[in-house]
Amino acid sequence: MFPEKLMSDQGESCPLICGTAALARWALARVPHATRAAILVAAAVAAGAAFNALNPFGIPWLPSPGNRIGIPRAFEARLPQIDAAQALTLYQAGEALFVDSRDAKDYRRDHVPGAINFPMREWPDFWPAIQSDLPRDRLLVLYCYGAHCGLSTRQGKTLLEEGYEKLAVLDYGWVTWIEHGYPTVLHPEGYPTREGGG
Amino acid sequence: MRALWRLVTHPVFVRLTGLVVGGVFVWASLDKVTRPDRFADIVHDYDMLPLVFINAFALVMPWTEMTTGAALIVGVWRRGAGLLAAALTVAFLIAIAQAEIRGLEIQCGCFDVSGMTHSQASWDLFLRDIPLLLGAALVWRRG
Repeated sequence: MFPEKLMSDQGESCPLICGTAALARWALARVPHATRAAILVAAAVAAGAAFNALNPFGIPWLPSPGNRIGIPRAFEARLPQIDAAQALTLYQAGEALFVDSRDAKDYRRDHVPGAINFPMREWPDFWPAIQSDLPRDRLLVLYCYGAHCGLSTRQGKTLLEEGYEKLAVLDYGWVTWIEHGYPTVLHPEGYPTREGGG
Repeated sequence: MRALWRLVTHPVFVRLTGLVVGGVFVWASLDKVTRPDRFADIVHDYDMLPLVFINAFALVMPWTEMTTGAALIVGVWRRGAGLLAAALTVAFLIAIAQAEIRGLEIQCGCFDVSGMTHSQASWDLFLRDIPLLLGAALVWRRG
C-alpha cells in the first residue's frame, strides 16, 4: 500500500512537507491514464476561465443575447443587433449605409438598394479599396444571409478593431429583409428564394 | 519490420515523439487562447455543435491543447496526455472530414485564427493530421 520506504527516507528531515509530497506522488502514480487525461481537461477549464476573465477579447461562456457567437464582452454594447423594422426606419431616413457581407455572386443577384458589397470571406482582397467607401461618421448596417450567419457579426468585430464605432448588425440578415417585403434591387434573372417576388 | 518496430518503440524515440506532438499542440493553441472570439467563429462554421455550446468549447478546447502539449513536453503524465492528444486528433479528423464531405468552404482553425489568410479545412489537412494521431497514440501506448 503506502510506500513506507519513501516515508522512512524523507520523513526524518521534513516529515510534513516531504511526507505530503511522497503521499501525493504515490497517489498520483496510481491515477489511471484516462483519469489523468480528465484532470488535464479540468486544468484546461480552470486555466481557460481564469485567462478569459482577463483577456480583452474574452467571450461569455454562453452566446450573447440573440444567439450571437464569439462576441467579446467588450464588443457587445458596441455592436448592437437591430431588427428588420429598425433597419427599414434607418433605410428610409437615409441615416445608414447598408453593407452586404455576403459573397459577391449573391449580392449581384439581390440586395438592399444602395447597399455596398463587402464580402467578409474576401476581406483581404476588398479591404484596401473599400475603406474609402466606408464612412466612419455614418452608421453602417451590416447584413448577411440570415439566421446564424456569422459573416456580418464577424465583419462588425473586425471593423471595430479597425476603429469604426458606428455599427449595427441586422438580425436574421437578408432573410428577414425579403420576408418583410422591403425594397430590394433584383437581378433580372431573379433570386431563387423569391419566386414571383418583385 | 521487427527492427523498425524496435526503433519506433524505443524509449528515446517515444520521448522525442512526445516532444514533437507536444510542441505541435502548444503551437496550435497559442493563437486560439488569445482570440477565443475568432476561434468561436470558426467552430461555428464547422456546424457541428449546438450554438449554446460553441463559446464554452472555444474557451476550453485551446487550453486543453495547451495543457496536453505542455504535459507531453515536460514529460508529466505522458501516457495520459498521449491519450488526450490522440482523442483530440481524432476529433479534428472527424471535424475536417465532415466539413469536406458536406462541401463546407471554411477556415481550418488549426493554428492561425487571427489573420485574414488561412488554410482551409481540406483532405490535405486530414492527411497531415494522421502522423500526429500516430505519434500521439505511440506516446499513449508506449510513453
